[in-house]
Amino acid sequence: MSFQLNCPNCGKRAVSEFSFKCEYMERPEADADFKEWGDYIFLRENKKGTQTEWWFHRSGCQSWFLVERDTTNNTDHKSFWYKDLKQKK
Amino acid sequence: MSRRIDSHEFYEVDKSGKEISFLFDGSVVWAREGDTISSALVASGRKIVSRSFKYHRPRGIYDADGYGPESLVTVDDEPNLLADRVLARNGMDVRSQNNWPSLDFDLAEINDVFVPFLPNGFYYKMFHKPKWLWPIAEKQIRKVAGLGSIDTAGRHNSRRYEKRYRFPDICIVGGGPSGLAAAKAALGEGKQVLLLDDHPELGGHSLHSLARIQESPFSELEGLSEHEGIRKLAAELQDNPNLEIMSGAMVFGVYEDNLVAAQWGNDLMKIRADKVILATGASDRHLVFDNNDRPGIMTARGVERLIMVHGIAPAEEAVVVTTHDGGYHTALLLHGAGVKLKAVVDSRASGTEGVFEKQLEDLNIPIYREMTAHRAHGRKKLQRVDVGPVKGGESFQSFDCDLLVTAVGLMPRLNLLSMGRGRPEWDAERQVLRIMNLPEDMYSVGEVEGPADISSLLQQGMETGLAAAKGNEQPKFNRKPEENIEALPADIESGGDHHFICKCMDVTRKEACMSIDEGFDQVESLKRYTSLGMGPCQGKSCHEAVARLAALDTGLTESDAVPTTMRPPAFPVSFGLLSGRAHHLGPIRRTPMHHCHIDLGVKFLDAGAWKRPDSYMDPQQEALYVRKGVAMIDVSTLGKIELSGPDVIEFMHFMLPGKFAKLDVGRTRYAIMIGEDGILFEDGTISQIEKGKYYISTTTGNQDAIYTLFQWWLTTGDYDVQVKNLSAGISGVNITGPKVREFLSSIIDLDFSNEAFPYMHNRQATLEGVPLNLFRIGFTGELGYEIHFPSEFGESLWNYFMEKGEPFGLKPFGVETQRILRLEKGHLIPGADTDALSNPYEAGVGFAIKDDKEDFIGKAFLAEFKQREIENRLVPYKLQEGDAIPIDGVAVIADGKPVGRVTSSRMSPTLGYGIGMAWVPAGSSEAGNHFNIRSLDGTNVIATVLDHAAYDPEGQILKS
Ligand SMILES: [Zn+2]
Repeated sequence: MSFQLNCPNCGKRAVSEFSFKCEYMERPEADADFKEWGDYIFLRENKKGTQTEWWFHRSGCQSWFLVERDTTNNTDHKSFWYKDLKQKK
Repeated sequence: MSRRIDSHEFYEVDKSGKEISFLFDGSVVWAREGDTISSALVASGRKIVSRSFKYHRPRGIYDADGYGPESLVTVDDEPNLLADRVLARNGMDVRSQNNWPSLDFDLAEINDVFVPFLPNGFYYKMFHKPKWLWPIAEKQIRKVAGLGSIDTAGRHNSRRYEKRYRFPDICIVGGGPSGLAAAKAALGEGKQVLLLDDHPELGGHSLHSLARIQESPFSELEGLSEHEGIRKLAAELQDNPNLEIMSGAMVFGVYEDNLVAAQWGNDLMKIRADKVILATGASDRHLVFDNNDRPGIMTARGVERLIMVHGIAPAEEAVVVTTHDGGYHTALLLHGAGVKLKAVVDSRASGTEGVFEKQLEDLNIPIYREMTAHRAHGRKKLQRVDVGPVKGGESFQSFDCDLLVTAVGLMPRLNLLSMGRGRPEWDAERQVLRIMNLPEDMYSVGEVEGPADISSLLQQGMETGLAAAKGNEQPKFNRKPEENIEALPADIESGGDHHFICKCMDVTRKEACMSIDEGFDQVESLKRYTSLGMGPCQGKSCHEAVARLAALDTGLTESDAVPTTMRPPAFPVSFGLLSGRAHHLGPIRRTPMHHCHIDLGVKFLDAGAWKRPDSYMDPQQEALYVRKGVAMIDVSTLGKIELSGPDVIEFMHFMLPGKFAKLDVGRTRYAIMIGEDGILFEDGTISQIEKGKYYISTTTGNQDAIYTLFQWWLTTGDYDVQVKNLSAGISGVNITGPKVREFLSSIIDLDFSNEAFPYMHNRQATLEGVPLNLFRIGFTGELGYEIHFPSEFGESLWNYFMEKGEPFGLKPFGVETQRILRLEKGHLIPGADTDALSNPYEAGVGFAIKDDKEDFIGKAFLAEFKQREIENRLVPYKLQEGDAIPIDGVAVIADGKPVGRVTSSRMSPTLGYGIGMAWVPAGSSEAGNHFNIRSLDGTNVIATVLDHAAYDPEGQILKS
């Protein structure tokens, strides 16, 4: 992986400056059944195509943000803050 | 015998290089500064330079350009370097590879002489049954098949490699005519340009061309001969402040988003460019005929380079086989250097009457048309060449010669264009393989798009440079019909078994055909089965031959039989270059007291990026200083995170399994952290140091992870909380031992009595004006205070404590001692005594979980764990006096089966017997139970489970 990621704060930087956390997922309610919790923790979609992901600008501004990334080519990606995801919905 | 020339008919020979010498297999070789190892070897008359991989056939310098495997040598103690590329240095020790006892007399050549050929899979088919035979056979095979061997004690192993970065507007790979023209155009548009070229001098193949420059876009070059013109162009650009030139840089990869990776000396260059222009040029096409690998068979451009760049006449008598005017050019250069030309053999019926063809005709050199090379004779060096019809069959004529030049067309150097993105396509019109669709922001120009004359190369280079500078699309260029060079048949079918397709792996056409008969009839599977193109050159010299022969023998069309995708590295690179220095991305982190530790003779421990004192002398002795007197450890590497804000309690209740509402100002509490999966991963303390200000102390390794985790939850949750990472800004020491109260009372104005400052409390004070936070905690099991202060006072406070503590016998201690002390107390270390499967109830820290909260991280899994029966427990144990101390990680055995494991094991200096922690089945985890530990040597010791701690089990000492 050598692509560049767009930090909403700092702009385009080498992906090696960032940490990938996980695909974006909704955390289950505290009283959700155990299977739902198991899926949340252990199962990932690992989609071929565009997925929303959590990234952290480790060697930069130390911000958490979301990225819509096409996992097939790493190029068509959009970066935005979590609050903007909530506004989208 | 020197093959240096003093003068040449067509250009001025540069003889300015100082004379130097080096050793090749122990013999002295004279060279000129500016020589490569190869050119010096050719100049000295040496023919054999290496032995081939499988058959140990003698091989000589071939393209003088490092695109094939022939020039691999060991230089000083570094193996597998390209003699074609390494410049000769005075006194260097060069050795040939893969031969025994010597290069000129290699016993393993018997593979070639007596075994007609070793078909693919021969060794395996021969030796795989019976099963026991293979390991023995493999050892022998490895001895004879291979390249250089690594000298692990060699000097090159301690070489320091660095990573360096560049961010030009435009990165141009290749400093030939198109690359230079592109650079000139882009510079004219005000762009920052980085130009990489793999030779010491810019100019590419133009450095050895006599062609006239006409109708070029640059009027100042008009009428000059190509080698003069290109030097003029390079000199003109040289001083442009917006141009950086890296000569001798090997670009081995072009990755996503225009990341260009190159080796430049000992540096790994990582270049991120807005636009990349690949002007990588072309190599002479590989001609396949019988014994086409004999020393003395060389490419046209290799010969030209030796003559014009190095001033060498590479042979006495030469035959040139050609398919285009370029071969006549090479012939002319040979003639001008005094080499006797026995024949120029042209595959065409009658040439298109190129410029050089005419000149050669005028010199009355014999030209044979509609013929090509059929067979080479001579083993250690070329002696004779048979020529005959292009379609094969009977040979017509033989010529005695010691040089056969192949000028049979050009193959674009596609590796950097392909790079895992796409397979080349056969362009029937240009008769070359090309990569058609490059990613956006990447351009290709020059001979990598097919052969072209100098004016086209300059013109198209300029236009591409302009397009890149302006952000326009890749311009499309047509080739003039006379620029295209028709390819000869993929193999000249003239009989004989030694038609080498891939010289790296010693694969002949015959072997390829057998493999196709066995069913490996696609380029991809053929490559995998025969290892065609998988040697050191990575297909650079043979991929075209492989594909075209596959087409011939499988019935695929040339457009279907295309080479496999080429991947990085395009050139061999050493692991040292790729790994760089150990701390290349993050700095080495040292505490403010680092130099105090060095003065005390410390042995450091690497803890992540940190250097921590492991011990100063004997950890067992240091432990006794803590137990009997007073000692101090640097704890600056611990994470220090401050939380505050209106929702801080709510946030901590969500993040941590504990409860903190009753944690008053001045109090400190042990806390653990678990993941959503319920697994313990961290422990530390939380203190309310001021109203609403919570100070969290984490382990060294987890400080960044926990800080970012807090930030993540603050990003996603609706908490009004501020988080500050104070880890680097705050340093600390832990001073501990029976005499600590007496010592600290003597220097710090604070009531240290048990009543005023009880166990698990914190206080603030100042010392010589420096603000201190003091925490009375007890990881070591002795009365102890952790003292935190701003990092800038780290060194002076450490020295101050050491000085003032001297009357009390204060000593330093390190991490290893701390590990012994905590083991005596039965305290676990997350990650050392626990792993990714350790549930906190089984690890014995369930007391720190208050699960009667609405929601917190890991709640669902903890609820599940709580329901389950406890299967295993982490327990402290002791051994008998005199028992051997097992190492960490050995198994706990019951009924001959492993049922658990020891996670930490040490000798207790305080108690005089072995202690430790181990995971054991719940059934044998009660205090007083025994279990069996098996050491690596097979001996067993019986351990006894302890209730709490081996030392001060009731915590009397800690709390008094
Ligand atoms: Zn940023």
